Amino acid sequence: MKFSLAVYSAPHSSQSAASALRFARALLEQGHQLYRVFFYCDGVHNGSGLAAPPQDEVDLVGEWQSLQREQQLDLVVCIAAAQRRGVLNEREAQRLEKPAANLAEGFELAGLGQLADALVNSDRLVTFGD
Amino acid sequence: MAKRTLALCRQAPYGSALAREGLEAVLAAAAMDRAPELLFLCDGIFQLLDNQEPGAIDQKSLRRNLQALPMFGVETIHVCERSLMERGVDTGQITIAGVDIQRVDDTGGFIAAFDTVLSF
Repeated sequence: MKFSLAVYSAPHSSQSAASALRFARALLEQGHQLYRVFFYCDGVHNGSGLAAPPQDEVDLVGEWQSLQREQQLDLVVCIAAAQRRGVLNEREAQRLEKPAANLAEGFELAGLGQLADALVNSDRLVTFGD
Repeated sequence: MAKRTLALCRQAPYGSALAREGLEAVLAAAAMDRAPELLFLCDGIFQLLDNQEPGAIDQKSLRRNLQALPMFGVETIHVCERSLMERGVDTGQITIAGVDIQRVDDTGGFIAAFDTVLSF
């Protein structure tokens, strides 16, 4: 079955961001496909390359990145939600005249159309966080 | 046959960003001709109340997003009957120009009829 995930919560704030990652791993292990992970609302912080959790905690951003490398996942961070919350790639940082970019490697910024597209092209959309 | 998609609007309008960002996602999908149907339930019904003055807390009104719905082809929305009753809101208090508001009794059955569901 083809899944997409919508992630609304920030890493290290509520369990749902971690649950999304675990769910992604579980469905891939069972032979399902993961069409896209769409990070929206506070979920955009999952794409911040500046998160630095203590060493004895799970590094969620790093975990998403390694899963992305293994499985060539499509990790999309909503550009409008990300601009509001200060998650920018180089291009956006320059365009908006901000001092730094922080979008982590393996994630890309794109519009809400990617969520609509995921709805059409997946058998299931599973939402994490409220 | 095209897939039927539904968006649930569950959050009160200004307490969290999800109400606004949910409507933005709905409008973005509608602009691509992929408008989901809409069901307002739980505290989400408060998004529909008339006479909001969010300027008092330096918030932008959600009304503009709601009023844009018919321009994007969304002319009917659904509201959970039980959520209205539990919160003492009657349909006279919820109006959006150009949008027909339908009350839903069997919310679970209504949701189950869709292929995919967005939850905001």
